[in-house]
Amino acid sequence: MFDNIIELLPEIAKAINETLLMMAICLTAAVLIGGSLGIVVFLTSRGQVLARYRHFNLVANALINVFRSFPFIILLVAVSPFTRHIVGTSIGPLAASVPLSLAAIFYFARLIEQTLRDVPRGVIEAAEAMGATPRQIVTQVLLVEARSGLVLAMTVLAVSFLSYSAVAGVVGGGGIGDLAIRYGYYRFQTDVMIATIVLLVIMVQGIQLLGQWLARHVDKR
Amino acid sequence: MGTLSPFGTAIRLHGVSKRFAGIDGIEVGVEPTDLDVAQGEIHGIIGFSGAGKSTLLRLINLLEQPDAGQVVVHGEDLTTLSPDRLRAARRRIGMIFQHFNLLHNRSVADNVAFPLRIAGESAARIRDRVDACLAFVGLSDKASAYPAQLSGGQKQRVAIARALAPEPHVLLADEPTSALDPRTTQSLLDVLADVNRRFGVTIVLVSHEMSVVRRLCHRVSVMEAGRVIERVSLDAGHIPPDSQLARWLNEFGGGSESAAPQGYAPHALAREAAHV
Repeated sequence: MFDNIIELLPEIAKAINETLLMMAICLTAAVLIGGSLGIVVFLTSRGQVLARYRHFNLVANALINVFRSFPFIILLVAVSPFTRHIVGTSIGPLAASVPLSLAAIFYFARLIEQTLRDVPRGVIEAAEAMGATPRQIVTQVLLVEARSGLVLAMTVLAVSFLSYSAVAGVVGGGGIGDLAIRYGYYRFQTDVMIATIVLLVIMVQGIQLLGQWLARHVDKR
Repeated sequence: MGTLSPFGTAIRLHGVSKRFAGIDGIEVGVEPTDLDVAQGEIHGIIGFSGAGKSTLLRLINLLEQPDAGQVVVHGEDLTTLSPDRLRAARRRIGMIFQHFNLLHNRSVADNVAFPLRIAGESAARIRDRVDACLAFVGLSDKASAYPAQLSGGQKQRVAIARALAPEPHVLLADEPTSALDPRTTQSLLDVLADVNRRFGVTIVLVSHEMSVVRRLCHRVSVMEAGRVIERVSLDAGHIPPDSQLARWLNEFGGGSESAAPQGYAPHALAREAAHV
């Protein structure tokens, strides 16, 4: 009964690679760009050390909300001219990484901004009173004190975007989700469908367990 | 106010005011106020909740920007400084807080090292100062512990060590004992008195606990509704009987005459501590 699966083993291996590629690109973009954006949005929010840049805060918040409003599948299609412009095609895992990255950046920016709010204002104030610069407050206070929350935020990000990357399969994005749709759904190969779901469940469990272990490990509070 | 000490004035606030809308839109803050603190003095600021005493303290290192007035610390008007020079000035002004505000994900030693690290001090100097300051507060054996493993009194001692690490001239203490039990309070006040005597650090201490102020301070500013309504010199804990301070003590059940050797019986001003 596993004939289909055995026959498709090379395809499955390729799909896993494609999924990992999409995840690597969009998570990196999210952590670097989205993380920075989230930090700056936090610092410029009311009562924080860069609150005087209120206009930046308003614009950045609006931008995050706009991008987070798009249903992902619509974003996928809507940015395809942009995708073609930078990747040269709108099909395949590299192309799918563009809308995935866009969505992940703004998703993670919001997550980070909210995570940093858990750092007590008094601790930030103590650093200010000791003469810390805004940069030192970020690198030596916020990122240190919020680190277990930041790890959990990355865990949520990774799990969410594993599932988003499956949606990319709808437009020929490749990856595990694409496999599930092409064989499991269009060709009624139930065993392939089950195999892909089992694969995704294992990946989600792995990410979640790793994230929780790491978050506990770095938390000295 | 005349200067108590031959060494001159450490802090001079001149006409400082700060208004902001509090809860329910009621304006709170500090009305135009003067404050002089002599070098080497322990100066208390006492009053009920909402009197503006914490705001007045936070104006001294510009954690609150005054709406008007001058904040002169060691001859330098902080309100005129560039952000860089203000940060440099703040490194000479230590501060401790009611809730300690330690970094929870850093060890005790790293907490004490923090102000030196951000000032770019050398590793050797940091090690020396961390050792010296932890020894001073009696916590050398806790250097590698994390704050979560310490009692409240120990956390406040770490905060004091951290504040002393850069060798400040001035220490600002914002309700430093209000989250501590009476016995811990007493030993912590001994540490603060020692900081003043041994290192000549000028201390400004905000408290609503009469016993704390009486035990530690050379002079007291009494605040009400954003104003300093009275300045009292304490002579070995003796409170002048015609002062507002003495009337409060009478009204709320404390004695104004005896210097209250233990002095930690809960009195009315300490009721505020109940909601922390």
